[in-house]
Amino acid sequence: MSDLTLTPAPALGGYRERFEGVQLEELPNLAIVSIATPRGGEAEFAAAIEKAFGVAAPKPGHSSLSKDGRTRLVGMAPDQTFAVFTHDGPDARQVIDGALDGAGYTTDQTDVWVSLRIDGPRAHTALERICPIDLHPDAFPEGRAARTVMEHLGTIVLRDGADSFLLLSAHSSAESFLHAVETSIRNVT
Amino acid sequence: MIINHPLLGPRDAAEFVYLGDASLIDRPDWEDPDAAEKYYEYLYLRDNPAGLHRELWFHEQGDRSWLVVTRNTLTHEITNVELARDVAKAQGRSR
Repeated sequence: MSDLTLTPAPALGGYRERFEGVQLEELPNLAIVSIATPRGGEAEFAAAIEKAFGVAAPKPGHSSLSKDGRTRLVGMAPDQTFAVFTHDGPDARQVIDGALDGAGYTTDQTDVWVSLRIDGPRAHTALERICPIDLHPDAFPEGRAARTVMEHLGTIVLRDGADSFLLLSAHSSAESFLHAVETSIRNVT
Repeated sequence: MIINHPLLGPRDAAEFVYLGDASLIDRPDWEDPDAAEKYYEYLYLRDNPAGLHRELWFHEQGDRSWLVVTRNTLTHEITNVELARDVAKAQGRSR
């Protein structure tokens, strides 16, 4: 065995840029774990989520922040929830497995996605040009989430503040996605 | 075209993939003595209505759900959208 050490590298090398009225940054330590509800185990799943995170499991299109404020649970589809949390290490799935004690089927999706946060007073203006979802605060208030397409790339958009959005897109097309978001920001600043 | 998803609200048709007639849900029983004839009908024979049509759409760029959409083929007006799993369960299927 060789004694090579593998060092994780973020998809965009820790990108961070300031524009007029908008900030865009990569979140390199964001862990994403997909949790599927076992068929017939819906009640046990709901109880385990409540016990582990102190909040109810979110419905599709909604999210809830755990009581300790560290994990955001996002309802992706019927019987599918994503747990999104800051975590530095290759064992994000084990963290959720430990919390749920077998009440959900977990898959580590951390390295599948690139995570960007866009925030600032012009974030909404920049996003509305590439996002087909109505992001007006009345239609898409804080905590709402949606899986959609931006510039032909599958994207999850989540509003985590009045002027702040989390964007997740495929790691393999991270630079194309960044280019799309950057271009849209440049068009409004 | 906008499809009003029963769980997620109005979504652009670009997020969806079209499959075809909603009768594809009713797959024949392969052990039926008339299975060959029934599969021939199931696979190859379609109505082609000028008017209301029940059809399957897959929310590929969304929550990956299958929907049964009732659409008027003359006007593209969508009058009803249901989750395909609810339609199948209402017909007595387990899922």
